[in-house]
Amino acid sequence: MRVNDAVLGLVLLLLASAMIWLTTYFPAFPGQDYGPALFPRLLATGLIVCALLLMLRGLAARRQGEPWAALASWWSRPGQVVSFLVMPLAVVAYLLFAETLGFIPLAFALLLALFLWFGERPLRALPVAAAATLLMYWFFGEMMRVPLPRGLLNDIL
Amino acid sequence: MDAVLAAFGLVFDPSVMLVILGAAVFGMFVGAMPGLTATMATALLVPVTFFMDPVPSLGAIVTATAMAIFAGDIPAAMLRMPGTPASAAYADESFLMARKGQLDLNLGVNVVFSALGGIVGVVFLVLCAPALAELALNFSSFEYFWLACLGLTCAVFIGTGNPLKGFVALLIGLSVTCIGIDPAAGVPRFTFGNVDLMSGVNFIAVMIGAFAVSELLRGAVALRQEGHVVVPQVGNVFRGVGGVMRRYWLNFIRGSLMGTLIGALPGAGADIAAWVSYAMAKRFSRTPEKFGTGHVEGVVEAGASNNSAVAGAWIPALVFGIPGDSITAIVIGVLYMKGMNPGPTVFTENPQFIYAVFIIFILANIIMVPLGWVAIKSMKQVLRIPRTLLLPLILLFCIVGAFAMTNSSYGILLMLIFGVLGWFMEENGIPVAPMILGLVLGEMLEQNFMTSMIKSDGAWLPFFERPIAGALGIMTLLVWLLMLGRGARAAWRRPAEA
Amino acid sequence: MTELFRRSLLRAGAAAGAASLLALPARAQGNYPTRPVTLICPWGAGGGTDATARIIGALLEKDLGQPINVVNRTGGNGVVGHSAIATAQPDGYTIGIITVEIAMLHHAGLTNLTWKDYTPLALVNEDPPGVQVSASSPHKDIKALAEAIKAAPAGKLKASGTGQGGIWHLALVGWLQAMGLQPDHVRWVPSNGAAPAMQDLAAGGVDIVTCSVPEARAMLDAGRARSLAIMAPKRNPQFPEVPTLNEALGINYSTGAWRGIAAPRNLPADMAKTLVAALERTYKSKEFTDFMHARGFGTIWADPEGFAAFMDKSDRAMGEAMRAAGLARA
Repeated sequence: MRVNDAVLGLVLLLLASAMIWLTTYFPAFPGQDYGPALFPRLLATGLIVCALLLMLRGLAARRQGEPWAALASWWSRPGQVVSFLVMPLAVVAYLLFAETLGFIPLAFALLLALFLWFGERPLRALPVAAAATLLMYWFFGEMMRVPLPRGLLNDIL
Repeated sequence: MDAVLAAFGLVFDPSVMLVILGAAVFGMFVGAMPGLTATMATALLVPVTFFMDPVPSLGAIVTATAMAIFAGDIPAAMLRMPGTPASAAYADESFLMARKGQLDLNLGVNVVFSALGGIVGVVFLVLCAPALAELALNFSSFEYFWLACLGLTCAVFIGTGNPLKGFVALLIGLSVTCIGIDPAAGVPRFTFGNVDLMSGVNFIAVMIGAFAVSELLRGAVALRQEGHVVVPQVGNVFRGVGGVMRRYWLNFIRGSLMGTLIGALPGAGADIAAWVSYAMAKRFSRTPEKFGTGHVEGVVEAGASNNSAVAGAWIPALVFGIPGDSITAIVIGVLYMKGMNPGPTVFTENPQFIYAVFIIFILANIIMVPLGWVAIKSMKQVLRIPRTLLLPLILLFCIVGAFAMTNSSYGILLMLIFGVLGWFMEENGIPVAPMILGLVLGEMLEQNFMTSMIKSDGAWLPFFERPIAGALGIMTLLVWLLMLGRGARAAWRRPAEA
Repeated sequence: MTELFRRSLLRAGAAAGAASLLALPARAQGNYPTRPVTLICPWGAGGGTDATARIIGALLEKDLGQPINVVNRTGGNGVVGHSAIATAQPDGYTIGIITVEIAMLHHAGLTNLTWKDYTPLALVNEDPPGVQVSASSPHKDIKALAEAIKAAPAGKLKASGTGQGGIWHLALVGWLQAMGLQPDHVRWVPSNGAAPAMQDLAAGGVDIVTCSVPEARAMLDAGRARSLAIMAPKRNPQFPEVPTLNEALGINYSTGAWRGIAAPRNLPADMAKTLVAALERTYKSKEFTDFMHARGFGTIWADPEGFAAFMDKSDRAMGEAMRAAGLARA
């Protein structure tokens, strides 16, 4: 998704302004001329300068016929759009269900779903998903002691 | 001399060698996994070392960390997924080399120059630890402030063709570091009352998102577009490394020296060393235009640099008990536990232990080459995995790695947000590497600026009064002026070009 | 390889099959704990709290026969980790190491949590602050330094040791007030912990560092800094040559950073009993004592009631000090 520099500039301008506005609520640093607001304000000012330059540039490009925004050709093909979205959606699903389901069932289900969506044969997808899930649980959860969520298997593990 | 012989006896003991080998394999694994850092590996080894003798416990830590910093380069080159933050600076360059069919050359260069850089670092540790530590001890917040400013200059060299967009990325990275508790006054900023945001933005989770997840998003689309082309590889990891050595020996030496020096400074470690060295390589290169297209020169310099920084960090740790990085912070604790209190006396009271550590350091860097070769060989099998299986597997690694950074789902959320943001930025020609640099340097910059201002009661003169601070400050300002002048001249010559 | 590493390998291997069946034989203490216990540490790897958590974890693991996983939940001046402990399920499988910051954070308005949100289990450590100056400092003893502070204009001398409003900052404020001076008579330079502050002291960036003596130890041993006094009722046996403020100046002021083990509020009494008994054995073990002494950390034991009373006292003292210093926001 390519957008015109002027649009980028506008977004940055709004973000930087919001940053400066939020810094007005910061308490002062007692006995100090420079407080917690100084650094964010400096950065926001820098961002605003960059944003204005980007907008100038974007408007120049616009006059030469560049569109406000352009989508790559694959956005018109639903299969590829789903492929693109399925990655972040898998992460969202993990965030939502990890605590209740636990790492092992959820990671297995997600891997399997993704394998199958990308066109892998079930006969190969199933064992790979199972083996990968268990291996990762062993290495990260047991060896490296990362507290992976236990969820459904709370009493078994 | 007796102590040296005793040290050899301590090291070349079968059980010690076994521990070193085990730690080496462990370090390789940890380094190659995104989200598992050398610091984590060390922290996990600590309870193990409670019950070990001093030499094997320190040997395990030395070996594991040296391996981890190298192993981070492997997934960076193969999957654009830096295994440790120290590989982030040249992850793009390595990945582009792999795309050009130079994966083997890249990994060969990485393993050889990592090992050589590590050895240079150890040599400095052995020969001039006290002198270098003395130098590091002169660094107060004024010096660190200028150092961070010089570090920011690197952004100019790591961004791609468009300096304005590189600058935007840097500012975004720096702005993100403002989230959390402010380093001077201790008040929360941009946290909206959220507990997770109070801890700030974990830069490793961001790095996993911006590099690996954004690459996965592109990969997922390309998967159905055309059969992904597996780039043919020459097969011999070490072919061509000799030629690189003859051509770029100067880069290797400069990188190792710079890495040792930066590593020896408390508060700046292997990751900053890699950024600085990569930027130096480009600045002094005869062919700077080749950088960012898969060019080996920067990889040589930065690859040597981050491994020499690992040894460099031990210098202030051994001499003054000041941690050179987060790894040596843990090491100092282990030293105390083993009765080897850091300080000048550590070299006189139990010299055989310190010599043993040095020997293990050299040994670790030597076995890095064969072990690294095995690791590269076996990890290359990963590329043979069909991409229909590989992409989801990498995603799961990213999730678990990001989770491990915060031990909560906050890390995963950060990874997701910055993954999508990184993808969008690259679609629009905004490089992500300067953003990561901004994240690395942001707090160092602000903290040292604020504390310097408090110390000087708001005056600017003390920023130049101390000898090292003055030299660094003038150097920084000169570099900036030169760059501004050059930029202005370029803009003057071709005013129409945007 | 070591016992622990081998065991973790074994356990890991077993987990792939049926871990619970092969679980290591637990002591005969009813059923709890039947699975791994998480020990949350609000501070990062490399610090004293992390080291303390890890030695306690390793020893508890031996005692209880179940893995104790130390999990770092860092950031936000300790808010993140302390919240994670307080908001976990009180099922006995999440405990944590809590530190003096729990008595300070709510006064600073950074969280609503107080010590009352926990089930106290055991107090294990307390370290009083020391007064450190650079080796090249003209002030040879604490008396000379105190005179110099009183004589200097406000804000001329600079001290460091931790962040703004952190425990060592409060120690300085408390000492200044005990001498009848304003809390900002010596200007505080916030630092990212004691180690960077000690380095700044040696580099000549600040005049005084009020961190604990064990934190300053490397620089003391290296002859780069001197410890002039400690703010404690009595001398530290590890550093017997450092006098107390009371001995040297007649100022009866003492404070300290402490660490203890706690669980979320409403932990069932039988689980608490199991844990406290195991912690007491751990505390009394030779390994723990050796470890704490090697690091120079002070040890102190208090059972749940004692720990609760201790935290109550600490909370009130910190609140008073922070209000006096103008650092309280809630």
